Amino acid sequence: MSDNGFEPKIVAFLCNWCTYTGADLAGTSRIQYPPNVRIIRLMCTGSVDPTYVLKALLDGADGVLVGGCHPGDCHYQSGNYKARRRIIALKEILKQAGLEEDRVWLRWISASEGQRFADTVSQMTQYLKEKGPNPMKKEWAV
Amino acid sequence: MDIQQHAREIGLGLDLFSCIQCGKCTGGCPVSMTTVLNVRSLVYGALIGDIAGPIHEEALWDCTCCFTCVERCPKDVRPAEVIIALRSLLVEEGKVPSTIGNALMGIFRQGNPLGYAREDRIAWMDGLEVKSAQEGCETLLFTCCSSAYDIRAQAATKALVRVLQAAGVDLGHLGTEETCCGNEVRRVGEMGLFEMLVEEGKPLLEEVGVARMVTTSPHCMNTFRHEYQLGMDVLHYTQALARLLEEGRLNMTGRVEKVVTYHDPCFLGKQNGIFDEPREVLKAIPGVKFVEMDRIRDRSLCCEGGGGRMWFEGTNTEGRLAFQRVQEAADTGAEILAVACPFCMAMLDDAVKVKGLSERLRVMDIAELVAMAL
Amino acid sequence: MKPRIGVYICHCGTNVAATVDVEAVTEFAATLPGVVIARHYTYMCSEPGQALIKEDARTLGLNRVVVASCSPRMHEPTFRAASHEGGVNPYQVEMANIREQCSWVHPDRHEATDKAKALVYAAVMKAAHLEPLEEREAPVTPGALVIGGGVAGLVAALDIADAGFPVHLVERSDRLGGRVAELNRTFPDLEPVAEWLPALVDQVRRHPNITVYLNSRVTDITGFVGNFEARVGPIEAGLAPAQIQVGAIVIATGYNVFDPRLKPEFGYGIYPQVVTTLELEQRLSSGDLTVNGKTPKEVVFIKCVGSRDQQLGRPYCSRVCCMISAKQAQLVRQALPDARVTVFYMDVRTFGKRGEEFYDEARRAGVRYRRGNVSEIYRRGERVVVRVEDTLLARTVEHEADLVVLAVGMEPRPEAADIAALLKLPRSADGFLLEAHPKLRPVDTAVDGVFLAGCCQGPKDIPDTVAQAKAAAASALIPLMRGVVPMEAATAVVDPELCAGCGMCVEICPYSAPALDPLWGVSRVNAVLCKGCGACAVTCPSKAIRLQHFTPDQILAQVEALVGW
Repeated sequence: MSDNGFEPKIVAFLCNWCTYTGADLAGTSRIQYPPNVRIIRLMCTGSVDPTYVLKALLDGADGVLVGGCHPGDCHYQSGNYKARRRIIALKEILKQAGLEEDRVWLRWISASEGQRFADTVSQMTQYLKEKGPNPMKKEWAV
Repeated sequence: MDIQQHAREIGLGLDLFSCIQCGKCTGGCPVSMTTVLNVRSLVYGALIGDIAGPIHEEALWDCTCCFTCVERCPKDVRPAEVIIALRSLLVEEGKVPSTIGNALMGIFRQGNPLGYAREDRIAWMDGLEVKSAQEGCETLLFTCCSSAYDIRAQAATKALVRVLQAAGVDLGHLGTEETCCGNEVRRVGEMGLFEMLVEEGKPLLEEVGVARMVTTSPHCMNTFRHEYQLGMDVLHYTQALARLLEEGRLNMTGRVEKVVTYHDPCFLGKQNGIFDEPREVLKAIPGVKFVEMDRIRDRSLCCEGGGGRMWFEGTNTEGRLAFQRVQEAADTGAEILAVACPFCMAMLDDAVKVKGLSERLRVMDIAELVAMAL
Repeated sequence: MKPRIGVYICHCGTNVAATVDVEAVTEFAATLPGVVIARHYTYMCSEPGQALIKEDARTLGLNRVVVASCSPRMHEPTFRAASHEGGVNPYQVEMANIREQCSWVHPDRHEATDKAKALVYAAVMKAAHLEPLEEREAPVTPGALVIGGGVAGLVAALDIADAGFPVHLVERSDRLGGRVAELNRTFPDLEPVAEWLPALVDQVRRHPNITVYLNSRVTDITGFVGNFEARVGPIEAGLAPAQIQVGAIVIATGYNVFDPRLKPEFGYGIYPQVVTTLELEQRLSSGDLTVNGKTPKEVVFIKCVGSRDQQLGRPYCSRVCCMISAKQAQLVRQALPDARVTVFYMDVRTFGKRGEEFYDEARRAGVRYRRGNVSEIYRRGERVVVRVEDTLLARTVEHEADLVVLAVGMEPRPEAADIAALLKLPRSADGFLLEAHPKLRPVDTAVDGVFLAGCCQGPKDIPDTVAQAKAAAASALIPLMRGVVPMEAATAVVDPELCAGCGMCVEICPYSAPALDPLWGVSRVNAVLCKGCGACAVTCPSKAIRLQHFTPDQILAQVEALVGW
């Protein structure tokens, strides 16, 4: 699908210690990125319940970004590993259900990686623009 | 003039804004003490969109494209690219030194800058059995135009083929279809011709279907590696020889009882980081006593043969770097100055003769030395 | 209690207001469910801004507050405190980050305003679901751990010890004093280090409150602000490690000197004529400046070796080399009055107190400054040639020299990475340890109770190092002197009615906070141990555990608002 004025909505679940702080750093460094991302702050990606991601997709979010600390850097020792396992399982379930698992992105972005955060949002926005609107919303509404 | 108008575009296109005018580029430029060419000033001129002061059209052709400026820039600016971009503008206007123009014409018409007939490209093979790559082979040998046509370089090419075949390498060659790689074409700024060479050369190379190409020249290796995006391993022949040594396939039973020093080609060393393999090969030759000059590896002195300088004398004919270089080699007490590039061979061999050092010093290709020890 | 929400939109001067239409956002907020009042103000964090919240809370009976301004990482404590004074529970305060994550990153006014509305909407929706929580306090272990025995560590240790607390000072090497002990004299007063460093070391060694561990390193740290437990292991095997308890930690692990072999063009390690500033320092101490047995006649300094260099991944300025070069050039002039001393530079950065004057003094002492970044060094007879473009002449020169001094920059110590890993401390892209905020929290880290002093945080000179060490000590003393630290209120809680007693929460928790009650067969969370990560809540198959302040209904309300707007 081409870019015909479609602006995807991305809900981001970011951990307080790494990616949320990285997003703040993008701000203090004035690194610009598309406004399509809307952030929810959690203490740890280990507390991202797969139902949050599902809910966002079913409500009509075009993409969900889960952002946490790099492996080994989790503030709570291993929350990011837990998140990784859960997101992999969730994506598998989405795939089995014939839903588009590539709308869910899991990324490790540290507190010092403001540029990486902005780049991730830009890439994801572009990817979803090319992919088009989330069909799940319509299906659900019917 | 046009160049002034285009300077700003060049500045923007090459992202020169990181430049802090520290002078590391010009300070390391091998020709900066013998020509008015000042690459730092050119970067500045392009950056601010006013190049009228710094530019000196004829001196633009003095750059050897050794890329020392690129390698050393602390801000990741690529100063030499400014020179190449400015040369391109001159090329478009047809303001090219006649000798360079002739070389480009030769490449366009006959596939080689010397302007020799395409059919003669394989004349060097006389007395050798070299397979046609099109019929299938394990390794493709790509001979630089100099290696194919230049009489002195031909000897090195022959030696290399003998060495590779003795080591059991299944070698093939493109025959008369082989055409100039275009490394220097791009560096003298003839972008149109370079694109044409890539467009025609790339399918030809890929159709052969080999996993590995071995080049006689670091210049060919450089452009094939970085500017062709080929799906194959491109090796300089010294790398291939070093691998054969390591695998125990290169058996040297003879001896070369000589004191040997080695000159790093810029396109092999500085630009591609290949410093050790040529030395490993030389040191493995029985009888060779290997000595180093002072300016080696990252600090090697350019022979002044790259970037189109094979076809252009330069604005300063007095202070040739090759003169200095052969003196340095002779001062080590070496009897042989080993080279690994047909351009270095031509420049240094000439300098040895001009400086009257022929009695003391011989310039030889590494492949020739290995062949002597077979 | 029915939500009565007050919404406050901050202009942050023009930081928000220049891009976000604060009036439109305020009007929008006023229409949201539960919102009793919506206001916008220039600086919500200012005294009058906070007064607005307190006043409204009292007069309008607010029970929830939403502030749309900077990141909660910045001012959440401020607005929690203001709301609390107005009678609102601090945990019923929510922030919408419309500066760092909106106005500063989205230049388009329409887009930024639209996004700000969505963020405010989500904050209001979450606020409506927020529950009051109680903040409790935990006692603090009196005492501090200082890692690193250089000037930063020595000064920090002394200040904390002088305040009456035990200090454990851990040093890797076999002596105290760090890098400064390798110096001869310091800028800008040319004072010999020997006149003050031994006294400082001695003070530390004799201090009754300081225990020094030489040849030792910290191998493990657990716990949190107020109650850390560290294992100090001797570097030589065979000795028993010490286990120490402290309330705060100061990291002062210092820097490494750049290895100029990574810049092969300078021929360091090949030519005896080429030395580093640190090596010259030792020669100045010994008084022997000869090279190959001869007194140098031409001395060259090269600046920015290993600094300001993108190619090496060291893009930063090391901040001290300009002053070190100016100092050493003067000292060489004094020691060798017949020698010509030339400094090649890209820029001269002699900032700070007496910096420019010191540079003036160097030039007046006869030191020649020439602008150009040296590109190459090679041999010529008994000398070396420094090849450089004098950019002011626009001419490349071969400057022959008998002694070349490379002003080597600073780089992070690899050991600092180990400490960072132990404490989960972030490092900046250059590898130095990252402060919590570049301006307002320069000695704090992302981990409460852990502070930075000296060059582990980035290159700095001795006065800055000492200033930072004193700041770190003062910050570390805050929890130590208070004697208590606030405990995480947003902990996990179990609903015993729903809990099936499967024990999955017990298994997943890294802090052993949940445990099965042997009598009732259900899980209970020990609030003292819980850090509030929320892993148990996601794992619980019967959804009996909730992480307070981040409950599913709160988060789903945010999701709905963000997608719905």
